[in-house]
Formats: sequence, structure tokens, C-alpha cells
Amino acid sequence: MSYISVRDLSKSFTVRKKREKGHLLREKTQIQALQNISFDIEQGELVGYIGPNGAGKSTTVKILSGILTPDSGSAAVGGMIPWKERKKHVKRIGVVFGQRSQLWWDVPIIDSYSLLRDIYRIPESDYQKRLSELTDALDLGHLLRTPLRLLSLGQRMRAELCGSLLHSPELLFLDEPTIGLDAVSKLALRDFLKEENEKKGTTILLTTHDMEDIAALCQRVMVLGHGKKLFDGALPQLLSRYDTLRTVHVRYDGGINLPALPDTCLIEQDGDGHKITYAPEKLPTTQLLSLLQSAGNIRELTAQPQNIDHLIAAMYKEMDL
Amino acid sequence: MDTVKLYFRSMKMLLRSQMQYPLSFILQTISQIVMTGGELMAVLLLIDRFDALNHWSAGDLLFIYGMMDITFYLTECFGRGVTGNFAALIQSGGLDTLMLRPRGIFTQTLCRAIDPRRIGCISVGVAAVIMGANLASIEWTFLKWAAFFESILLGMLLILGLFLIEVIFSIYSVKSIEVVNALTYGGRSACQYPIDVYPRVLRLLFMVVAPFALTLHVPAAYILGKPLYGWPDFTAFLCPLAGAVLFFIMYLCFQKALRFYRSTGS
Repeated sequence: MSYISVRDLSKSFTVRKKREKGHLLREKTQIQALQNISFDIEQGELVGYIGPNGAGKSTTVKILSGILTPDSGSAAVGGMIPWKERKKHVKRIGVVFGQRSQLWWDVPIIDSYSLLRDIYRIPESDYQKRLSELTDALDLGHLLRTPLRLLSLGQRMRAELCGSLLHSPELLFLDEPTIGLDAVSKLALRDFLKEENEKKGTTILLTTHDMEDIAALCQRVMVLGHGKKLFDGALPQLLSRYDTLRTVHVRYDGGINLPALPDTCLIEQDGDGHKITYAPEKLPTTQLLSLLQSAGNIRELTAQPQNIDHLIAAMYKEMDL
Repeated sequence: MDTVKLYFRSMKMLLRSQMQYPLSFILQTISQIVMTGGELMAVLLLIDRFDALNHWSAGDLLFIYGMMDITFYLTECFGRGVTGNFAALIQSGGLDTLMLRPRGIFTQTLCRAIDPRRIGCISVGVAAVIMGANLASIEWTFLKWAAFFESILLGMLLILGLFLIEVIFSIYSVKSIEVVNALTYGGRSACQYPIDVYPRVLRLLFMVVAPFALTLHVPAAYILGKPLYGWPDFTAFLCPLAGAVLFFIMYLCFQKALRFYRSTGS
């Protein structure tokens, strides 16, 4: 059996609407957060979990981490049912919510860590070893005596990560870990996660809206929408279906006008040049280039792949999310 | 044992974090002393005026008043995690964080907060007890001391249990229910005076529903040498157990309620 095995998992919430005039009781509506989700994850995998807001990503994570009980279906992590054996289960997992803190606000982070040591009952020698390992990797050494509230967003995220990895979990859930981080912090965080995954063999389930995170880290993505699983596979495989357009920027010597191009091309003025979006399937690139070259001296030509966010947006649109 | 250690470690850390703002701590402690001190003054004036209430002398009344104060504010000091705003914890998703840790939720809730400013209120209570004990010229024996501490300890459990009702409601509805305050804060205010001065309905309320009369008035009356309703001495040690019973029932309900917990979005 797989390390994480989820079968036909469903969860719905009852939401009470505001009472309407003339009605005695408030109307209740059922929201299906998850509908018959099934998947398997092997130990050591790093899986991206994406979908628009409200798709049910957090609900899945909460069920798998033992916070919520599903309505139907089954889930097992390493042979344990999370919500039935909560205490035993959470000892082996780490969870980082990008927008919530699990450390104490007003005390130096080292104090938070030593309380976590007591909570998780980590033996002192293991704790010291792991702590120095993590503070090196996350560059936290000089911040240990600083209260959490005085840290910047990037520092805080690193501190949170350290806190949730102290007990060396074998499974890590990350909910938007790079939200609001600057480029440098983002890259450093990605490197760290990659290493944690490769060296320690930590299984990671990464929920994010940042497609670059997924592209940089995950061999596998799952797409969730309206509580259903829509895709499960490699990212390039997912994108190839939507990655049908290419864009070139072209600039001529002098103010030469563009030659006549087929109707299938989308042309936009872009400074003193032009931006041409075309589908290589309908208009092969050689043909486009020879057309462009015949018009005059090209001073500059840059080709760009489609932005990954646009691809995902196109995908969500097609799937009607 | 491990759990107790965790509790004290947490308290130590929380204390240190509170001391990050020393001025705010001092000012708030003083304001609480003034507040409860004012309440005590009102009681003193009342006692001075009427001298006695039924068969309770001024000293008796002060003594009972002080015991209630000590019990209640000790609970608020050390049980702040339960008596504090639990609904806010749920709304902010803090309960999720607790559930992600390999410890009992109740333990962690207790470990979540401490309110050291209550030391001001507690000291006012201690002052009232000392004044009352002197006025009523209590002859302390070992058994009376035992009854005194048992009453405070089990009274604390009772108050925790009552606050748990509010916690349980907020788990179901993700909102706080103020009605329960009638039992907790209302119970404190009412039961600062002996139970037998009240009409029947209130007597029933504080005997059966929120049994402050059993945890506090029965042992206090024994210590004062005026057994409540003439009950035998052993009741002073038996009755307070009602506090533990209520706490235990509410603790079980709390565990049950957690299974219905539905969490909030992120």
C-alpha cells in the first residue's frame, strides 16, 4: 500500500445564510468541499497541490493532518487513520500554514523551539543536533534570540519552517509557504525544501498559488477544482495541453511597418516594436520568421514562452472553475 | 507528570512574554486592585451599616467574600486558557494549531495563557479573608485548613467546568455565547454572599446547576463554626466534590465536542 492512500474522500460543510425577510428560519446550504477524491502518494514524493481559492485544498490538508473528520471515504497515512489516532499521527507530520503562526509571538524564537521540544518530547541530544542543522540550513543562527514579532515576513517563514521540522517529521504539509516573500527568500526557501526532500526523504505536499514554486519543486501536480480532482500527473504534461501559443517581440531598424501576417496572429504595439502572439501549429515558426525578415532589417527579436500563470488561468477557465 | 511539567514550562514562558511589556503589566495590575478593592469597600460599607445578615456576622460575610474572590481569580489567573476568549482562538484558527500537536487539546488550552495581573485581585481576596477570619475570630485547626484549601481547589475546578460550557458552545457555533456568563461571573457575584440569604430559585441554581454553595458555602460555614442548615461536619469535605464532578462531566463533553469541530478557512 502507498504511504498516503486516499479513497473516495468526501466532506461537506453546512453554511447558514443570513435570514431573509419573511422567513422564520435561516436557510442552510450544503457546500461540497470535497467530492470523492482519491489519490496515492509514495514516500519521498514532492507533490504540488493546486486549484483556485475554495477548491478544497486546505480541507484535504486538514483531513490528512487529523484536524477534520471526513463525511465518507477513507484515508491512511503510513497505515494510520489521521483523525482516529490524532496524537500518534501528528507526531510524524509537520504542517506550515503560510498565514498562521504556530510559534509564540512575544518570546525569542529559541524559547518557542524549546517548548516545542517539550510538546513533542524530543530527546535533548536529537533536539540539539536537529536545531543546529536547521538553523544552519535556514540561516537562523543570529535570529534565535529575537522575538517572533520583530522578524520580517521572510525571516518569520524560515522560523516557522524550522519549528515544524524540529521533530523530524516524515511528512510535511506546506500551505502557501512562499506567500508574500521576496525573490531571494523564495529561492532560498525552495532550495531548502528540495534538499529536505532529497536528503531526508521527507514526503512533501505543497499547496500554492505560485506556479513557479510548482515548476521548480514538484515532479507531480494534482489539480483540484470544486472539490473534485481534475488532473494528476507531471506538470509539463498538464501544461502541454494549454501551452499552444508563443510570443515574439520584434523591432526593426527605422520605423518599418510589420508585413501582412495571417489572421491567426495577434499583433500588439509594444513601445517602438511589436508583440506577436501566434500558434506554431497553424503558422510554423520558420514561416513567421521568413515573413518578418522579408519586411526589412530586424534589429531585435526575442521569443518568450507563455507565462505559466496564464496557462493555469486558461486551464481553470476551460475546466469552468 | 510530563503534562504538569509542560504546563509549568508554558507558564514560565508566557510570564516572560508578558514581562516584555512591564509598564502595561504594572498599570493593569494596579487597575485591577483598584477595581476589586472598590468592590470590597462596597461590601465593607454594607456590613458596617447592617452589622449582620440573618445569622451571618460581618466577619463571616467578609470571610466568605474573600474565599470566593481567591477561588475565582486564581482560576482566571492559571486557567486563563479556558476562561479567556476561546471563540477568538477558534476564529483565528489557533485551535487547528493545537490539534496539530501530539498533546491533549485540554492540556494545550490550559497551557495557552496565564493572567498574572490577577495577582492584584487575589491579594484583595486574601486581605478580605484575613480581616474576616479575625473579625469572626476563627479558631484554626488542621481540619479547618484542609477544608479551606479543598474548597478553593475544587471551587477552581467548578469554575473551570462552568467556563468549559462556553468553550463547548463556541466549538459548535464558532461564536461566543454570553449567556453562560450568567453562571460564571453571575455565580461569583451572587455567591460572595451565603446561599441561605437567597430565595428558593437561586438556592436551587447554586446548589444543583452551578454548585458554588457546595464547593464554597458548606466548607466556609464549617470553618466559621456555623454549619449550613446544621449539616454534619463531614459534609464540609464531601460537598465540594461536586465541583470535581461538574468539571469532569464538562471535560467529557469538551472531548466529545471536539469531534464536531469544523475549523475555519485559511
